[in-house]
Amino acid sequence: MDFSRLPLSEDDRVFRDDLRASLRTHVTDEVIRRDRETGENFDEGVHEGLGAQGYLANDYRTEFEGGFTALHRRIWELEVGRAHTPWFHWGTTAMIARTVESLASPQLVAEVLPGVLSGKTRLCLGYTEPDGGSDVATCKTRAVRDGDGWLINGSKMFTSNAHNSQYVFLVTNSNPEAPKHKSLTMFLVPLDTPGIEIQGIRTVDGDRTNIVFYSDARVDDRYRVGEVDGGWTVLREALKSEHGTLERSADGLQNLSSMFHHGTVMAEAVDTVAAAVTTVRLDGRRPLDDEAVQYRLGRSVARMEAALSGPGMFGRVAVAQTMRDMAPDLMDVLGTASSLPVDTEGAIADGAVEYLFRLAAPTGVYGGTLEVFRNMIAQQELGLGRPNYSPPKKVTT
Amino acid sequence: MDRYELRRLDYTLSEDHTDLQSAYRQFFKAHCSLDTARAAEPTGFDKSLWERLCASGATSMAVPESHGGDGATLVDLTLVAEEVGRAIAPVPWIDHVCATRLLARLDALPSNEEHTLALIGGGSIAGLDPHLGGPSGVRLIPSGSIADDIIVCDGRDVHRLTFTTRCSWVDNLGKLPMAWVDTAAADSRSVLASGPESTASYQRALDEWRLLTAAALVGLVDETLTVAAEFAKNRYTLGVPISTLQGISHPLANMAITVQSGRNLVRRAAWFLDNEPDERPELATSAFVFMAEEAAKAAMMAVHVQGGLGVSVEAAASAYLVRARGWPLAGGDPAASAKHVADIVTARERVHHGLGA
Repeated sequence: MDFSRLPLSEDDRVFRDDLRASLRTHVTDEVIRRDRETGENFDEGVHEGLGAQGYLANDYRTEFEGGFTALHRRIWELEVGRAHTPWFHWGTTAMIARTVESLASPQLVAEVLPGVLSGKTRLCLGYTEPDGGSDVATCKTRAVRDGDGWLINGSKMFTSNAHNSQYVFLVTNSNPEAPKHKSLTMFLVPLDTPGIEIQGIRTVDGDRTNIVFYSDARVDDRYRVGEVDGGWTVLREALKSEHGTLERSADGLQNLSSMFHHGTVMAEAVDTVAAAVTTVRLDGRRPLDDEAVQYRLGRSVARMEAALSGPGMFGRVAVAQTMRDMAPDLMDVLGTASSLPVDTEGAIADGAVEYLFRLAAPTGVYGGTLEVFRNMIAQQELGLGRPNYSPPKKVTT
Repeated sequence: MDRYELRRLDYTLSEDHTDLQSAYRQFFKAHCSLDTARAAEPTGFDKSLWERLCASGATSMAVPESHGGDGATLVDLTLVAEEVGRAIAPVPWIDHVCATRLLARLDALPSNEEHTLALIGGGSIAGLDPHLGGPSGVRLIPSGSIADDIIVCDGRDVHRLTFTTRCSWVDNLGKLPMAWVDTAAADSRSVLASGPESTASYQRALDEWRLLTAAALVGLVDETLTVAAEFAKNRYTLGVPISTLQGISHPLANMAITVQSGRNLVRRAAWFLDNEPDERPELATSAFVFMAEEAAKAAMMAVHVQGGLGVSVEAAASAYLVRARGWPLAGGDPAASAKHVADIVTARERVHHGLGA
């Protein structure tokens, strides 16, 4: 058990200071403002700038392969977070690239990987369908053999960052007659393929995601990842890292759960509210003088710290659920002005809690709903057995 | 505070930790069955279990080496407390170790005196008033019916009270050895310390009491969850185990989340009190605020999962339910603890956000 500050060598300090300087150069006020407006969580200049300096390649590679040491990786993660860098999608690109590297043909790896590491190439996920939800194996988007390639037809929801990406990691149904988990084939589809249309969708937290339509999009077989009808094996590998169920090393230099970044956003908002309630408001009152405010704030701090302590899947649910449970209390203690968004006259604490309340909705949905993770805890941790998903009886008349 | 500070985030237990943990898990398994806990309900105290526990070194470990004890860390003590809760053991261990550690801090454990040795060894029991804000006059003290020394704080002075005739036990939901204690009626009363330093020392005892009570509640919830999950796997409705119904499995998953989050928060809080006490003083009380609320909810759900069998007085679930509510309530309204957390955090964040002290 160890929560101590890490001593930095001269080399570590230089690394951290260089990184901070880079982030100051790239993540300007203008970048932050544009990110808020577009909700893209991505900035090409920032992404390519950090790529050109080798940060992406070093984050991608393991220490053994010449990448960051565990300590530099931790500094990298913390400083990117501290700068509020629009950065949500690099993790997706890296996760897909790792899967491609281990399961795709050497030619495809050679085509994609250099751009991923330089920042010029971004990858996005085509899993969820408009009728699908969190069960990615329920896939209606069809891939049909067409000579030495495939014709793809269908649509995918929540393909975030598609409009800034060059490839989509796509789940298709190549064998509708087969059982669900033997019907899937995965592709890394170039997004400039004719027949692909990207439409933007804004979400309640201000983010932009996309719905992507595939109409007779023709993709060469060399863009296939894994075996034909063997997509489930590929997906399982890729989902492990997305669900945060990979083994953690014991050096205490990794996030405790896969929603830990959201937990930190929540913690910053709580801290901001804690400062704001000590100031005199326009009505001449100091919210903290009200014992009901003291109670709600203290309870929120306690619940937030508990959520931040939850490991793995437990922490993932705890962070999202706690954000939903306490954001209303944090708003209430600041009164009506807490409903004013950032940059609005009289907005309190930069609209931090108004944002937190909206962020709580997708946090419990994307990458798997809270129910998906409660199912996983129930089955994998408590051994409660798989829910019985028998299909409804056919009505005969 | 700086939420991006570079610190380790390592919750792993050392081999010494896991040895200690399994030793006390075994101890209570061997000596404190559910029947043992039940049999002690008319007094809230099992004297022979207490003597065995003390003989294992559970009281002396908590006292600093400088005062004749074995100098365990608070992290160590949370591991023992979790096992006390898992077994719902009818022993005043949490109150006693918090009180003796307080006496050590106040230099009120003169070395080699008979009474000191008795306190370290548990032959004499020390208790304390775990309420925040020091109520005056007559009050309920959780170990009041069995404690030889009762430590209280009136906001300025820390007093040691003794009674020639012990205060009488009152029945209570948590099945604690609780008594109404009238501080004015004590047969002897000595001021141990006065002034801000002594009240700060008392506050530390209150923090430790909350931390160890939170740890005990983690163990308590873990055990009642285990029993409820086992029941659910073996109880069928319409041909399927009820554990596969999400109306059952998701509440059980939530209880597991409470255990995992609460346990790690308890340990992190203990680590900071052990190593950097001024850095995160809000965490111990935060763990208590969280577990005080969640333990009773979780224990109620464990009863509910077992339906008619869960509500029977024979069921383990009902024994855990009453203690899940009664134990934290012995420290008074948990809202007072929440307000204490707010005091600490608002003072810190005012400074951090450049608004002055």
